[in-house]
Amino acid sequence: MKKIIISCCALLSFGLNSCSDSFLTVESANQLYVDEYYTTDARIFEALVASYDPLKWFDYAWGQYTHLGLVSDVMSDDVYPGGSDENDCAYLHRMFNYKALSTSVVSDLWTTFYSGVNRCNVVLENMDNVTGISDTNKALYLAEAKVLRSFYYTWLWKLWGNVPYYDVNLEYPYLHDQNTADEVYEGIVTTLEDAIDNGGLPMRTSSAWYGRVSKAMAYMLYTEAVMYQKDETRYDKALQYMEEIIDSKEYGLVADFASIWENDGEWSTESIFEINYVSTNGARSWGSPITAGGSIYPKLIGINSLSGSADYESGWGFEPVRTEAYEMYDGSDTRRDGGILNFSTYAASTGATYSGRYEDTGYFLKKYLPRNGGNAGSSGDADMNYGNNFRVYRYAETLLYAAELLVRGASGEGSAQDYLDEVRTRAGVESVTASLDNILNERRLEFVGEGKRYWDLIRFDKAASVLIPDGGYRTGTWTESKKYLPIPQSEIDAAQGTLTQNNY
Amino acid sequence: MKKLLSFFFLLGIALTVFSQNIQIKGVVVSGQDNEPLPGVNVVVKGTTNGTITDLDGQFVLSVPSDCVLLVSYVGYKGQEIAVKNSRSFRIVLQEDTETLNEVVVVGYGVQKKSVVTAAIARVSSDDLLHVAPIRVDNALKGLAAGVTVTSSSGQPGSASQIRIRGIGTINDSDPLYIVDGMPIDGGIDYLNPNDIQSIEILKDAASGAVYGARAANGVVLVTTKAGKEGKVKIIYDFSYGFQSAWKHRDVLNATEYATLMNEGKMNAGEAPIYADPSSYGKGTDWQEELFYDNAPIMQHQISASGASERINYYLSAGYFKQDGIVGGNYGRSNYQRLTLRSNSTYKLFDETKTRNWINKLSVGVNAAYSHIRSTGITTNSEYGSPLGSAIAFSPLLGVYEEDEEAVYAEYASVENFAPIYDKKNGRMYTIAGSDYNEITNPLAALSLPGEIGRSDKFVSNFWAELQIWDNLKFKSSFGTDLAFWGTDGWKPVYYLGQSNKSEKSQVWSSMYKSLVWQLENTLAYDKKIGKHSFSILLGQSAKKTTGRYLSGSNYYMVEEDGSKANIDFTTGTSANGDQSVSGSAYSPSTLASYFGRLSYNYAERYMLQATVRRDGSSNFGSNNHWATFPSFSLGWNITNEKFAENRPGWLTSTKLRFSWGKNGNESIGAFGYVALTSTGNNYYFGSGDGTLYNGTKPSGLANENLRWEESKQTDLGLDFGLFDNSLSFSVDYYKKITDGMLMTMSIPSYVGESKPTGNVGKMENQGVELETSYRFKVGAWEFKIGGNATYLKNKLINLGNDTGYNNYDSYQNVGTISRAENGQAFPFFYGRKTDGIFQNMEEVNSYTYTDADGEVSIIQPKALPGDVRFVDVNNDGVIDDNDRTKIGKGMPDWTYGLNLSVGWKNFDFNVMLQGVEGNEIFDATRRTDISYINLPSYMLNRWTGEGTSNKIPRFTFTDDNNNWTSSDLFVKDGSYMRVKNVTLGYTLPSKWARKALISSLRLYVAAENLFTFTKYEGFDPEISSGGTSLGIDRGVYPQARTYTFGVNLNF
Repeated sequence: MKKIIISCCALLSFGLNSCSDSFLTVESANQLYVDEYYTTDARIFEALVASYDPLKWFDYAWGQYTHLGLVSDVMSDDVYPGGSDENDCAYLHRMFNYKALSTSVVSDLWTTFYSGVNRCNVVLENMDNVTGISDTNKALYLAEAKVLRSFYYTWLWKLWGNVPYYDVNLEYPYLHDQNTADEVYEGIVTTLEDAIDNGGLPMRTSSAWYGRVSKAMAYMLYTEAVMYQKDETRYDKALQYMEEIIDSKEYGLVADFASIWENDGEWSTESIFEINYVSTNGARSWGSPITAGGSIYPKLIGINSLSGSADYESGWGFEPVRTEAYEMYDGSDTRRDGGILNFSTYAASTGATYSGRYEDTGYFLKKYLPRNGGNAGSSGDADMNYGNNFRVYRYAETLLYAAELLVRGASGEGSAQDYLDEVRTRAGVESVTASLDNILNERRLEFVGEGKRYWDLIRFDKAASVLIPDGGYRTGTWTESKKYLPIPQSEIDAAQGTLTQNNY
Repeated sequence: MKKLLSFFFLLGIALTVFSQNIQIKGVVVSGQDNEPLPGVNVVVKGTTNGTITDLDGQFVLSVPSDCVLLVSYVGYKGQEIAVKNSRSFRIVLQEDTETLNEVVVVGYGVQKKSVVTAAIARVSSDDLLHVAPIRVDNALKGLAAGVTVTSSSGQPGSASQIRIRGIGTINDSDPLYIVDGMPIDGGIDYLNPNDIQSIEILKDAASGAVYGARAANGVVLVTTKAGKEGKVKIIYDFSYGFQSAWKHRDVLNATEYATLMNEGKMNAGEAPIYADPSSYGKGTDWQEELFYDNAPIMQHQISASGASERINYYLSAGYFKQDGIVGGNYGRSNYQRLTLRSNSTYKLFDETKTRNWINKLSVGVNAAYSHIRSTGITTNSEYGSPLGSAIAFSPLLGVYEEDEEAVYAEYASVENFAPIYDKKNGRMYTIAGSDYNEITNPLAALSLPGEIGRSDKFVSNFWAELQIWDNLKFKSSFGTDLAFWGTDGWKPVYYLGQSNKSEKSQVWSSMYKSLVWQLENTLAYDKKIGKHSFSILLGQSAKKTTGRYLSGSNYYMVEEDGSKANIDFTTGTSANGDQSVSGSAYSPSTLASYFGRLSYNYAERYMLQATVRRDGSSNFGSNNHWATFPSFSLGWNITNEKFAENRPGWLTSTKLRFSWGKNGNESIGAFGYVALTSTGNNYYFGSGDGTLYNGTKPSGLANENLRWEESKQTDLGLDFGLFDNSLSFSVDYYKKITDGMLMTMSIPSYVGESKPTGNVGKMENQGVELETSYRFKVGAWEFKIGGNATYLKNKLINLGNDTGYNNYDSYQNVGTISRAENGQAFPFFYGRKTDGIFQNMEEVNSYTYTDADGEVSIIQPKALPGDVRFVDVNNDGVIDDNDRTKIGKGMPDWTYGLNLSVGWKNFDFNVMLQGVEGNEIFDATRRTDISYINLPSYMLNRWTGEGTSNKIPRFTFTDDNNNWTSSDLFVKDGSYMRVKNVTLGYTLPSKWARKALISSLRLYVAAENLFTFTKYEGFDPEISSGGTSLGIDRGVYPQARTYTFGVNLNF
C-alpha cells in the first residue's frame, strides 16, 4: 500500500510541481511592465502627454470644484462663492471667509498638483532609457516636463507655501521632508531657468500643438513666481523675458476684448497659455471625471434656471461677480461688459429670466459662462463637457508685468507707460500714470475672474487692508497667516510627523 | 438481480423446509409521506428467510406463526414486528433522520458526526423545506449559529451579505462557496434551493484548512441532491404569492410640509412661502404612489430522481419569477430564473466481493445550467433613487402636470425637452424643478426603460473514483464554471429634472464571459485496526480563471423603440464620438494547491485531525507565490470513557472539541506587486477641437512584497446529546485574528500616484455560538424546536496606518458618517454626540468652557434657542470635527434564530423567527443640503419654543449651529425580531391522493416577513450596501411581506 501511495504522490508532485511556478506566473492581458516601456520617442512622448493630463482636472476631479480661477478669486474681492448656501461646497465658502480647515480646503488640488509632479518626473527619469530619439526632441520633452512640473509646484507653493518639493519620484517609505516656501521657490525658478536655457522651446507653438508649453509660457510662469516671491535679484531677468515676448511679435492684443472669450477667441494672438477643453467627443462624465473632454466650470458658474436666452445655457449659480467689481469700470471700458454679464441690461434686451441663488448679485462672469451649444457633441455627461479653454496667460499680462517690472526698477528697454497704455487703449479707456497702484488696479480690471487678483493683493501687500469684512457675506479678515492654506489633514496624518501644519 | 434470485432461492428452501409456516402478506410505507417503499428487506429474525418488497411496497412471505420479522431499509429506522396470528401487515417505516445527520460533509469527504472535531454548522434539506427559500443565501438566515446574513435589499435577485464569524477583514469578507466540490465565484445565485441536499458551513480554521488560501472568511459547502434507491421519485412543486411592503415611512403630508417650510423660512428671517398651509390638505403620498402592492411571485419546480445498483440520478428543472415591490409594475425591478440540473453517478464496475484491488470504479457528473434575467433600480442611495425620491419629494407636487402647455413654455430653452408621460393614461409626469437637485419624480424615473441584466451559467463537475486497494480510493475530478453575463439598456431623450436628463437617445450593451476550471486529484485511505481508526487524505488542486468582456454604446436610435434597442439600430458615428467601445481579456488568475489531512480516533473516544495545505496564487509576485496553512483539532467523547458508563441515562453524549488553524485570503486582485502601464491619460493639443493624444503612465505604486492575508483561529466547543439525542445542545467559543490585512498603504498623496497595497492591518473577532434542538412527541403531536444564537465582538486592532483611523461611508452634506479606527468595532458610525436642545439663550450662554488660564468662553457661540447642544468630546472649548466620536455600529452583538415545527396528523406547521440585537442604524434618508424636500415625521417633534423638545432641533434654513452635521440624532436602534417564515401545510390522506394517480399531495400556505418587531422607523431594519457598509439607510428597498400558496405533488 505504502508503495502505491508513494508512487502516486511522486507522480502527482512530479506532474505538477515542475510546472506550477510557471502556472502561477501570469501576464496582464492588456498592460505592459512600465519599467520596460519607455524606450522610444513615441512612448516617452506618451509619458509627456500624461503629464499634461492633470491640467484639465483643475475644474473637477475627485469631488471638489477646484477651478484655479474660482479657487483664487473667491479669496479676492471680485466674486462670491455662490451656490445654494454656505454648505454648498463649504470649502469655498470657508476660504472666502479665511476660515478654511485642514478638513475643508481644496484638498483635491493638492492631489492633482502632485499627480502632475509625479508624471513630469516619470518623463525626466526615463529619458535615459529612450533610444533613437533626436537630441532636439529629447531636449524639448525634458524642458516641457520641467516647466510643467514648475507650474504644478508654483500653485502648490502659492496655495500652501511649505510643501514637499522633490524632483525624483519617491520610493519606499514614500516620505519627503517638508520644504520651506523659499526652498520651493528656489526649486521652481532654477528648474525654469534650466528649461528655458536648455530646452529649445519655441516662442510660440505651432497651431497643431497649441496647449504645449512654449518659451513664452515658461517666461510668464517664471515672472509670476519671481514677482510673487518679490525676488528683486531676478527682476532684470524677468523683464528681459517679458520684453523678449514683446519683441518677438509672436503675440499681440486682440482688438475686441469680448471676442477673447468666445470659442473663436481660443488661442488667439493674445493667448500665451491655455488649458484645452474640447466639447466635441468630450468624454468626461461623473463616472470618469478625469478623462479627456470639456470642462464643468462654465456649468458651475452658469446662471441658475436661465430661460429665454439665446446666448447662454443655464448653470448652477456659483461665482457671482460682486457689484463693486462691475461698478469699478469706466463706462466706456470694453472689459466691463466684455467680461461681466449685467443681467438686468441683458434681460432688458432679450427678456431672459433667471432665479438667483445664494449671494446673487445679478452679475455673472461672462468670460466663462456656458455658451449656447458650448457643450455640443459631447459623448460623456453634457454638463461636464463645455469646450471653454481656461486662459492661463494672456499677452496683456506680459505687458502689465513688463510695465510693473520697469516701475519696480528693473532695467530694460521699454517704457512702462507705453506698455500700460497699450492695454488701456485696447480697452477703450484713457491713459493713466504707470504707477504701482495703477498697475495693480489695471490688473484687476483686465483679469476679473481669471484668478490673478488675490495673488496680486498679497504681493502688493494690500491683502490685509482690502480683504476685510464687507458688511455683507464676508465676515472674516485676511491676515498674513492666511497666506498659506491649511495642509489637508489626511496628508498631515499620513506623513508620519514629517509635515508641520501651516499656521493658518 | 443476483440478489433477487438468491432470495427466491432461499424462499424456495424455506417453503420446503418449514411446512408448518403460515403465509403472510403486507405493505411497507414511508412514515413521511405514506408512499410505498419498494426494495425493503423483510427477514425472519434469526434466519435467512426473507424477501424484499415489490414496486408497490408489497411482500408475501411464508413464516412460522410465532416468529418476529425484521424490516430494514437504508435511510429508515429498522423495525421488529411480531407476527403472532396476523396475516396482513401495514408497516410504517420512519425515516432515520438521525442516521442521515450522523454524516457531515467536510472538504473532500464526509465524516461521522460523532467524531467531528471542528466547528461545522449544517443546514439540511429538511430545514430548507420549511422555509422554502428563493435564494440560497437567504436560506441560511436564522438557521445556523455564527452565520450573519443581512439582506442588502428587497430588490428581487439582490444578494445578501453573508458573514461567517464576523467581519474577518476590511477587504473581501465573503466566504468561499464550494458547490459539489467546485469553487463558485460571484455568489451562488444560480443555484435552485430545491436542489440542495445540505449546506455545511465550515466556521473554524481547522475545518476550513483544507481550503487553505481561501478559507479565512469561512467556507460554505453546498451538496446537491442525489437519487435514492427505490421507486422513481417525481416531485412537482408550485407556488404563487403576493408581496407588499410591510411598512411605509412616515413623512410629512402637504399641510405639515408647508407649515415646516414656512417655519424654516421664518427662522431664517425670511418671509414664509405658503399663505395657508392647511389649504394643501394631505397632498401626494409618494410612497403610496410608488409601492407596488400584491406584486406576484411564482415558482414551478419539477424533479425526478432514483437509483439502481449501478446508476443514481437526480434531474430537476425550476422556474422562478418575481416582481419587485418597487418598480416591478414598471418592469424595472424584476427577476426570472430558470434552472436545470442533472446529477448522476455510474458504477462502472464493482468487484469488491471478488477481489481487493482495483475493484470498484464510479464516475459521476453534476451539471447545472441557469439563466437569470433581471432588472433593477438604484437602491439605498440619496441621489435620486426611486425610494429616496419618494420620501424626499414634495407632497405639494402632484403626480402629473396639470397644464402641459405651460410646462413646454417654461422649458422652452431646454434643448430636446422631452417630459415623461405615463404610458397608462398618457398624462405628463410632474417635473422636478431646480429646488430638488437629483431628486426627481420617482414614477417618471421608473417609466424610463432602464437596463436588463442577463446571466447564463453552466457549472459542471466530472469525477471518477477508483478503489485501488482495500479502502484506498483515488478520485479525480474536473470542474468548470462557465458564465456569460451582461447588460443591455437604452435611454430615450428625456427630461426628469435639471440634473437628470438626456438630450439624445442611447443604446448600450455589454457581454462578459468567464471560465473557471479546476482539476483535483485526491487519494483517500480509511482503515480501522482494532479500536484505532485512521483516515488519510492527500490531494492536489489547480484552478484557473480566465475571461473576457466586450461592451459598447452608441447614440441616436433610429426610433425610440425598446424592442429594437440594439446598437445597430442607432445612427451615431464614431467620427462624432457617439460610439464607445471597450473590451479585453481578463488577465488570468491561477491557484495551485497541495493538501493533506490525517484523521485519527481511538474508539471514538479521542479524536485528532491535522490538516495542512500549501497554496500558490498568481496574485502575488514570484517571491510570495506560496504559503502554507496548517491546522489541527482535537476531540474527546467524554461519554465514551469507561468512567462515564455509570452516568445518568438521560446523558447520551458529551463531546469536547478544540481546534486551531491558520487560513489565508488571496482575493486582492492581480498585479498589486508590479507596476504596469496605464493608458488613457490623454490630452488635447491643437486649436479648435484639437487632436487627442494618448498618454501613458505607471498604473500605480507597486508593493513587490505583497503577501497573503492570514487569519488564525482558535475554537473551543462542547456538544451535549440528551435523552437519546432528542435534545441536543452545543456551544462554541472562538477567537479569530486576521493578520497582514491587505489595504492601501497610508502614505501621503504627495507621492502623486495611486497608493500601493500592503499587508498592514490586523483584525480580531471573537464570539460565542449556541445551538440547541429538541424533538418530542405528545400523542399525535410531533414537535421540533431549534434555536441558535451568536454573540460576536469585532475589533479592529490595527488599520495599518499612522492615524489609526480611516473614514468610510459619507453622506451628502453631512460628510463622514462611518469610520474604521484601531481598537474599535469595524466599521462604526462616526459623528458628534448631542446633549439635548438649548431651550433658551441663557442655556447657550451658560454652556461654557474654562481654559487653563481661567478664561471662560461660550462653547457654541453661534447657537440659538432650539439648536442642538453638542458634547465637547475632546474638551477644548469649541465644537468642531474633532469632537466626532463613535456613535453606534451596524454589526449586531447578537444574531439569533428560532425554529418551531409542529406536526399533527396530516398537518404540518412551521415558524421561524430571526433577529438581531445590539446594532444601530444610521438613518441617512434626509438630504440636508436641499431645502425644499420633504422631511421625516419626527421633524414634527422639533423644538418650537421652550420645553417643546429636547431632542429634535428647531427647523431653520439658516443653520449656523450645524444642527444636522453627523451626530447621534441620525443614529437609531437597529435591533429587530422578525417572524421570518410561517408555513402551514396539509397532506392529503394517501387514499384520496392515490385515486388521482399521485402518491402524495401537500397543500400549503406560507407567509414571509409576517411580523417585524423593531423600533426603527425606516422601511426595513435590515440594511447593507455591500462591501463594508452595514446599517446605513439611504432609503433601503424593503423586504416584502409575502403570502404564498403552494402545492407539492409526488408521483
